[in-house]
Amino acid sequence: MQMTGDETAPQKALVEFREIGKTYPNGTVALRNVSFQVIEGDILAVCGENGAGKSTLMKILAGIEQPTQGTIHYEGRQRRIADPNVAGDMGIGMVHQHFSLIRSLSVAENLALGQEPRRGLLIDRRAAADRVRELAQKFSLDVDPNTKVGSLSVAAQQKVEILKALSRNTRLLILDEPSAVLTPQETQELFVQLRSLRARGVTIIFISHKLHEVRALANRITVIRSGEVVEDGVLSEMSDAAISKLVMGVDVTRASRNQRDLSAATPVVVVKKATVATGDADRRIDAIDLTIRAGEILGIAGVDGSGQEGVVDLLCGNVQPDEGDIALLGKPMALATTLDWRRAGMAHLPGDRFQIGGAPHMSLVDNVMAGSHRDKQFTRGPFLRVGAMVARTNELIKTFNVRCLGPREPLNSLSGGNAQKLVAAREFSSNPKFLIVNQPTRGIDVAAAAMIHGELLRLSQNGTAILLVTSDLDELLQLSDRVAVMFDGRIAVVLENDGLTPERLGPFMLGLEKTS
Amino acid sequence: MMDLAASLLSPEFFAAILRVSTPIILVAMGVLISERAGVVNIGAEGMMLSGAFCGVVFSAYTGSATVGLVAAIVAGMVGGLFMSFAVHVLRANLFLSGIALNLAASAGTILALFALTGEKGISGTLDSEVLPSVHIPWIQDLPVLGTILSGHHILTYVAFLSVPAVAIFMMRTPTGLRMRAVGENPEAAKATGLSVIRLQLQAFLLCGVFAGAGGAFLSMGYVSWFSQNMTAGRGFIALAAEVMGAGGAYGTLAASLLLGSVDVLAIALAGEGLPSELLQAAPYVVTVLALALYGLRQAKQKTIGTVH
Ligand SMILES: Nc1ncnc2c1ncn2[C@@H]1O[C@H](COP(=O)(O)OP(=O)(O)OP(=O)(O)O)[C@@H](O)[C@H]1O
Ligand SMILES: [Mg+2]
Repeated sequence: MQMTGDETAPQKALVEFREIGKTYPNGTVALRNVSFQVIEGDILAVCGENGAGKSTLMKILAGIEQPTQGTIHYEGRQRRIADPNVAGDMGIGMVHQHFSLIRSLSVAENLALGQEPRRGLLIDRRAAADRVRELAQKFSLDVDPNTKVGSLSVAAQQKVEILKALSRNTRLLILDEPSAVLTPQETQELFVQLRSLRARGVTIIFISHKLHEVRALANRITVIRSGEVVEDGVLSEMSDAAISKLVMGVDVTRASRNQRDLSAATPVVVVKKATVATGDADRRIDAIDLTIRAGEILGIAGVDGSGQEGVVDLLCGNVQPDEGDIALLGKPMALATTLDWRRAGMAHLPGDRFQIGGAPHMSLVDNVMAGSHRDKQFTRGPFLRVGAMVARTNELIKTFNVRCLGPREPLNSLSGGNAQKLVAAREFSSNPKFLIVNQPTRGIDVAAAAMIHGELLRLSQNGTAILLVTSDLDELLQLSDRVAVMFDGRIAVVLENDGLTPERLGPFMLGLEKTS
Repeated sequence: MMDLAASLLSPEFFAAILRVSTPIILVAMGVLISERAGVVNIGAEGMMLSGAFCGVVFSAYTGSATVGLVAAIVAGMVGGLFMSFAVHVLRANLFLSGIALNLAASAGTILALFALTGEKGISGTLDSEVLPSVHIPWIQDLPVLGTILSGHHILTYVAFLSVPAVAIFMMRTPTGLRMRAVGENPEAAKATGLSVIRLQLQAFLLCGVFAGAGGAFLSMGYVSWFSQNMTAGRGFIALAAEVMGAGGAYGTLAASLLLGSVDVLAIALAGEGLPSELLQAAPYVVTVLALALYGLRQAKQKTIGTVH
């Protein structure tokens, strides 16, 4: 354990939750009787299954939601945190599970929003930019104040989010699953920054589903299950097994793959010398050759930005290759659009589920049905069979264990992880011939991740060809029949997964070895 | 045909474009503010109509054109209040509220006109004022340019000056920035501590100011009377101009001028013996065409990143 330095110093509570309860207007009880303390100078990990109430509790602390019961004490005084401005004045900053930046505004404008420096009636843009540079330097998070947020990579947006949360003399920084959108390398970098913040006296609350991250960063842990605190203690005193049991309430068994010989199976996707030379640099690909067979899970490994996203774009019809050929079940697809791909039997679980995977204000039924409104099953003449649609949604809610009040609730009333499960359920259940999954278990709890892994294996057993892109090497090696390692937009090597190890992949990922 | 060509190139023709575009520009600026704040104001037409009506009535009873203009603006703002109340307090649908406002304004002005004058069509019996025209020294003496630029109604100049003002307001002031933030991502704006409702209320009120002034131009500009539904869809044309301008003040100005020119052209061609019904439809047809083109362009740009 690295972070237990201050055990002997007097422990002062910065925040104390007293019997906090929260019932949402739709009747969901998200929190009951939550009481615990956040000790000044700690890094506290808050863990719990999808829908446990973690985000809700943090939103209450950040003034975004109001508790329906109980009180919050800050620095020993009872405080009502009426809105995010009050929280900001108290020195509480939060990085949200779903980004809360305005994409069309620049970094400086995003940070200034609400407390703009002025010159006369106008915004003092130079002062706003200087402020960003100053903050960026102080916390060594480098960002350019004048770029538009929408054009930044996810990792860079994350940095902007953190800077924004730190921009008001912040003493308590809340991070709601900050690593869920980051690659392992970026996560390491984030942790270095968080440790240095802690050294400056910032108290940190950190939500994560990944135990190794919690271990690497936090010194205390609070576990929430179904809206109640089930554990609150010093991390070094608990074993991994004890924690995961606490989080899930049960032991989780991992799905495992059978070694199969698929060399004789029909090729479903065949890519020949495909090149995409335009667009974002980290999405370009160069003379890719790839075959995915029926029933096969082909994993793509590589340092983030090595062209994995480019391959996904290519195989879901987002981009068309400048050169080369693609075929899906023998049909040429080089000019196909996303719609053509979908009609030909492709399904796609995108990496960025909230931006492009679902419609937050629409109901679960609408989100499940998106894309299959024309299926015979759900239409009668020109009309939709609403009953059948609701039944289907209910079925998916059940098999994928989506925690919600009912199929007619809007998607944004679901917890982050449960919303992701629903989008996954939709894609998996369309009986695809070819399925692309991009980071399938980001932000999803251990039990749900095991369930998703099980579903992927089941689909592959039924003959679906699956392209798996993930930055989690454990997941990759656990599921893939073969692994293609990408480096610099090319496929460095394709390896059979007969007991592959991360060490074996490493040199290819770093471009030190090449055999293709 | 020679006459037509000559009249189309005459300074009067260009002056007419500026005149006809004025109410469209004014209302489009208001619509722009509301749209960027996330509350597209379908009710602009109704606000404009109540502005036109109140301008005539108040100027007639007080004998002051200024009071008339102020009344028109206040009428527009009351429309804004109505929209905000419906959308924010009663949680009504934005578009339906706008349509309701338009219908209420259309019927309400006729009713009030009847109550005041006993007429249903036109306010001929009310002795209302007109706002002054402005002759710009120096410029008015220039050949050609003098005719095009000088001697316009004061609100025409206001309309053109309001374009850079709105551009600066939206892009450079704190309130403009906040409105854009709220319009683009209300949840994120809320999480930052902005009051979505307050900013959208302000946007509705500002939209009312512009729509009311646009209405006043119709009834107190070159004529001094109000007639039923005298806005004739200009509020909707302004909505279209804003969409064509892609939310930018200068683009919206260009689109307003384009739609205004079509109108003027239609009037000029009417003199050539073309069926006038056809020509009257021209501005609306061009609006639809322009929006369709714009929609196609949008659809092309959107291919990347879509799933379905
Ligand atoms: N705006 C809302 N309206 C209604 N119910 C909500 C709302 N937000 C969350 N809930 C419900 O409250 C419960 C707790 O949700 P919360 O987002 O706090 O979970 P979480 O622990 O953060 O989960 P995850 O790990 O999936 O992010 C869930 O059952 C969720 O459906
Ligand atoms: Mg959450």
